[in-house]
Amino acid sequence: MLGFLRGAKRFGDPVIVVSGLPRSGTSMMMRMLEAGGVEIMTDGEREADVDNPKGYYEIERIKNLEKETDKSYLREARGKAVKVISFLLQFLPSDNRYQIIFMRRDLDEVLTSQNKMIAHRGSMDTTFDEDMKESYRNDIARVRLLCRKKAIIELCEIAYRDTVNDPVATAATVAKFLGRDLDPTAMAQAVDPNLYRNRKA
Amino acid sequence: MFGKSVKVKVDRDVFDRLRKIADVAGYATTEEFVEHVLEKELLRFEEAGGDDGAIREKLKGLGYIS
Repeated sequence: MLGFLRGAKRFGDPVIVVSGLPRSGTSMMMRMLEAGGVEIMTDGEREADVDNPKGYYEIERIKNLEKETDKSYLREARGKAVKVISFLLQFLPSDNRYQIIFMRRDLDEVLTSQNKMIAHRGSMDTTFDEDMKESYRNDIARVRLLCRKKAIIELCEIAYRDTVNDPVATAATVAKFLGRDLDPTAMAQAVDPNLYRNRKA
Repeated sequence: MFGKSVKVKVDRDVFDRLRKIADVAGYATTEEFVEHVLEKELLRFEEAGGDDGAIREKLKGLGYIS
């Protein structure tokens, strides 16, 4: 925490990163932040579809974060919110501070939703769900380790199901974490429980 | 073991399984086996750098990485 605050003078406002596994509610959180008054950074290139009817809130360039050497464009995201999938967090450049809102969702629900999306896209997928669950558990553990090791990162984990059940509470948690005066009612209204379609009993 | 050691509680059944395997696999003690397993597991998190082929394939299929 102290290290994070010390970086303020050097790196300016933190980049708000909404992260998590794909299909864990990251787009929902981006909508909440936008509704609450946070400026969103997106290129709008990936259009809304049956899997994300309200949009993806992505930046195409971020998908290349692992391979690209010039990542200075992310400085433009200081004080704004960007979506970065959990796997790519390790490739964030060290010349920013990051407040990471990490969405957590039941892994069976995540995989059910991902498999439907892959079918809709007509993509090849030779992975097995049980193997993926183990890989994703490791991925989440790596994220936690990364966040503990790096003083430029603050982490807040948010449960998808809790957010759908009580969006006002999540809005308050997120506003407190970010240290911002956000509109909790507008944030809560951005949550559409009808989009919680792949629900584990 | 050269560093300071600490005690960690594990389930009795798990410990019995560890003891059997440690013996069969030729470890000097159960503790040595446990430490070896934990070191390997820690390296997987600390040094793998997220290099997981299954995740890459899945994320590419989903359109989340290039």
